[in-house]
Amino acid sequence: MTDERVWGSRKIWAARLIVLAVFFVFWEWAAHSKLIDPILIGKPTGIVQYLWQEVLVTQSLLNDFYWSMGGTMIAFVLGSVAGVLVGMLFVTSPSTEAVFNPIFTALNAMPRIALAPLFIIWFGLGLGSKVAVGFSLTFFIVLSSTVAGGRGVNPDHITLARTLGASESQIFRKFVLPSAVPVIFNGLRLGLVFALLGVIGAEIFASEHGLGQTLSVLAASFKTNGVFGIIFLLSMIGVGISWGMSSLENRLLRWR
Amino acid sequence: MNVAMNPTQTRASAGTVTKPAPGSIIFDKVSVVFEPAKLTAVSEFSLNIAPGEFVSFVGPSGCGKTTLLNFAAGLLPSGARRGTLLVNGKPPVTGSHDLAYMLARDALAPWRTALGNAELGTEVRGVPAEKRRARVLDLLEKVGLKGFENAYPKALSQGMRQRVALARTFSLDSPILLMDEPFGALDAQTKLQLEDVLLSLWQRERRTVLFITHDLSEAVSMSDRVVVMSSRPGRIIADVPITLGRPRSVRALQKEAHYHELYSQVWSKLEEGLSQ
Ligand SMILES: Nc1ncnc2c1ncn2[C@@H]1O[C@H](COP(=O)(O)OP(=O)(O)O)[C@@H](O)[C@H]1O
Ligand SMILES: [Mg+2]
Repeated sequence: MTDERVWGSRKIWAARLIVLAVFFVFWEWAAHSKLIDPILIGKPTGIVQYLWQEVLVTQSLLNDFYWSMGGTMIAFVLGSVAGVLVGMLFVTSPSTEAVFNPIFTALNAMPRIALAPLFIIWFGLGLGSKVAVGFSLTFFIVLSSTVAGGRGVNPDHITLARTLGASESQIFRKFVLPSAVPVIFNGLRLGLVFALLGVIGAEIFASEHGLGQTLSVLAASFKTNGVFGIIFLLSMIGVGISWGMSSLENRLLRWR
Repeated sequence: MNVAMNPTQTRASAGTVTKPAPGSIIFDKVSVVFEPAKLTAVSEFSLNIAPGEFVSFVGPSGCGKTTLLNFAAGLLPSGARRGTLLVNGKPPVTGSHDLAYMLARDALAPWRTALGNAELGTEVRGVPAEKRRARVLDLLEKVGLKGFENAYPKALSQGMRQRVALARTFSLDSPILLMDEPFGALDAQTKLQLEDVLLSLWQRERRTVLFITHDLSEAVSMSDRVVVMSSRPGRIIADVPITLGRPRSVRALQKEAHYHELYSQVWSKLEEGLSQ
């Protein structure tokens, strides 16, 4: 079914590049001619220069990148493992869920970035406080998707399992868990993005290393090109994370 | 509650059969009352199914056909059950290996291939891997799915999915098969094909089959007996013996006069029940 109103992908890419080129040329011109103060908006050529210098020449941003990514990964792994385990406990024991659900809902309602100062007091300026913020976001996201996935099991599968004489553990391993995996995966993808958000947010607050820390230093000294450069890097990381998770998902969940 | 578990008290044992043989199903004054609404789904249902018999239940929708299978499969809450039901001589137990239950919907696991789905039943029941693999591969071939072993359900048509479910059901050793409208959702052509597949599988082993359908021609062409039920609460209106030879081909039967006589006989019984 091809819709004649939609262009081919090559034409769409060409149009997309033209739109971006026009945007950046206008931006460059506006800054160059001082139509808008470059202190406020930076300059595309300046941003490219900054990234070239700090990523490829001095490589100072790479160190920050590793700190931020390390924190994100640790927060993501701990948060997802805990989220999946507690979620499965909730699915298999509705009483446990009944006890903890309102407490967790209240905890999840707290603005986590506002907790960052407290985490910094508890865990110091290093990686610990960053991981704590990222964990506190990832955990609840993965928890709720795990519970939703576990609840979403097809009742026909449970009936079939019971007539086959499946044990509770067989029902869990052969029916509940596999049917929950796609929903859990959605939670993991979101959880990873939020782990990054939590870590960068906490670094902006107070830190020794990391892209967030560098970003706040640059902003404080009005180095707008640098600020935009880091924002660009962060959004590239976010896109990379989403893409990586999607391709992993497509490989693992070929049956969908 | 009037639950008589002693087989000697049942009407079923009053005849020549003194002890239920493997594969028998005995309903003795079975009633089912669902508690909260006091809804009587089945009332005073008595029937004796001999080992190896193929018996169909027909009746209006909601008359308690599925409920009777669920009773036999041990899926009903104990408070709803009245009377005596003996499956292979024993009261119903959930998950009994005496039974294989094929649900109306195929209940395939989308994350398993056709082979994985066909193996699911024997896997859960602990048949050793090599043995179940051989048995299931053979069955997949017999139901016409050779070459589709590694296909996921999303890539299979409705008819093919139901073939996988047939293979899953027949791979179990159970002497009794319960089938709840297994072909209800299929188009007429696919249905004829699968009816013949089912008959040929059954013909080899002659297990007891309790088959539910709302399709009278399906019931007449497949069964040894057709039990016609009234609308809710379900009672037996007629128990029609189907005196057609075996082995049968559903397609060939369509041209036989005796088949059409039996069909109209069952049809008039069903109409009688509806007008009562
Ligand atoms: N678990 C249940 N709780 C309450 N009512 C039920 C339950 N299962 C079935 N029923 C009711 O019992 C009646 C018979 O249902 P069923 O056996 O599914 O009919 P059918 O002959 O169409 O298979 C229906 O009115 C249905 O609503
Ligand atoms: Mg039904």
